[in-house]
Parts: sequence; C-alpha cells; structure tokens
Amino acid sequence: MHAAVLRYRVMAYITGVVLMVLCFVGIPLQIAGHPAVANDVGVVHGILYIIYIIVAYALARRLRLTIGPTVLLLLAGTIPVLTFVVERWMTRRYINPALGAAEPAAQPVSR
Amino acid sequence: METPGAAPVWRFLITPRWLGWHLLMVVSFWGMLWLGDWQLHRALTGNGLSWAYTFEWPLFAGFAVVFWAKTIRDEFRIKRGGGQVLAEAGAAAAADLPDGFGTRQVEEPADDAGDEELTRYNAYLARLNAEVNSTHGKRHGSK
Repeated sequence: MHAAVLRYRVMAYITGVVLMVLCFVGIPLQIAGHPAVANDVGVVHGILYIIYIIVAYALARRLRLTIGPTVLLLLAGTIPVLTFVVERWMTRRYINPALGAAEPAAQPVSR
Repeated sequence: METPGAAPVWRFLITPRWLGWHLLMVVSFWGMLWLGDWQLHRALTGNGLSWAYTFEWPLFAGFAVVFWAKTIRDEFRIKRGGGQVLAEAGAAAAADLPDGFGTRQVEEPADDAGDEELTRYNAYLARLNAEVNSTHGKRHGSK
C-alpha cells in the first residue's frame, strides 16, 4: 500500500507540475507565436500522463475506490491545478483512512 | 457466499448505474479511437507533433477497456466475497489480484534498520495516523 501511495504521489506531483508549465508557460508562449515550448512540454506531459494513469489506477484498486472517484483520479492528470487538489482530497478521504486501518496503533511500518 | 435462490452475482452489471458506466466506456473507447484517427490524418498531412498523439489515443482507448474489465472482475470478487471482507481479507484479495500493472506489493527487504528514508516515512505515517484518528476517526475509523 505504501509503495502504491508513494508511486501515485510522485507521479501526481511530476505530472501536475509539467501540466502547469504547459498551460501557464507553454500555451501563452504559443499564443505569442513561439510554439516550441508547448510542443515539447506537451509531448512530455503525454508520456508522463500514461505512467500517471497506470499508477493512479493501481492505487484506486488498492483503495477499492468506486468508479466515480477512480475516474476523477485518472482525469485529474489532465486538468491543471486539479491534480494537486485531487491528491490532497485523496489523501484525506481515502489514503489516510486506509493507512490508518492497516496500521492500527501508529505502529512503525515493518518491511 | 452466494445464497441459493438469490439473484446471480452478475446481475449488478445490468443495473442502471452500471449500464451507464458501460455506455461511458463504449463511447470513450470509440471516441479515443476516433481522436487517434484524426491525429493520424493530421500527422499524414505534415503535422509532426501529431505522431505522438496518433499512438497515444489508441493506447488510452486500450486502457479504458483494460480498466473496465479489471473493475468488473474486482466487483465480482467483492460481491462473491460477501461484502463483509474489509481490512484483512480485502488486503489479501488485493494482493492476490494477478495483474501486469505493478499493483502487487514489492517483496520488501528484511534488513531495513538503517533505512533513513523508511524511518522518516514511518514518522510521517505515524503523524498522519494520529491526525486521522483525531479528526476522521469517527467517520472513517470503522472501515
């Protein structure tokens, strides 16, 4: 579980940052007539999003999410800022309770 | 366990809610294939960037089908398990799911006493756990 959460968090932050760069730097530059940044960052985000989707779906199964939250989680990688909002919401609503249930008395994780 | 005389487990697949999901899956699958085809045409007319999306959209369409199938299979497992399986049985079932997407917990090394990262992560988890127990314990603790 912890490994799945960690993988998801890493990918959420990386994908989220790249997406923000794309939307708030690349797109304005493209409109201003310099499409190179948007093109390159766009392709990078495309590749990262593929990994994000796999990792996020793996986490969704671990957490036994219903379909609605799962779809939201997967789409969060395509909407700027929402990636971070969803990550916080997932942590509060699903990840922490799941980890709390797995580790009843704040015991250290043994691995 | 399946109760004799009860509705077959697969019946959940034809509830309105699930029919909606099936429809969404079909629409998004064909929609993504269509987008891939559109990008292919753009690529063939000289838009080099479109080659990346030409391959990406069908990949996403494939993901939709795989996730849809896995979700249904999980649902069967949950329903056949009787619904009372939560903490332990649920975790065991999740670990048993044969899949190719790395959901399986990696085998952990036995010797981790000197693992600084783990120590910090444990402290972090303990703090999170304390937070959850103090703020969300009543709402989520029973799960």
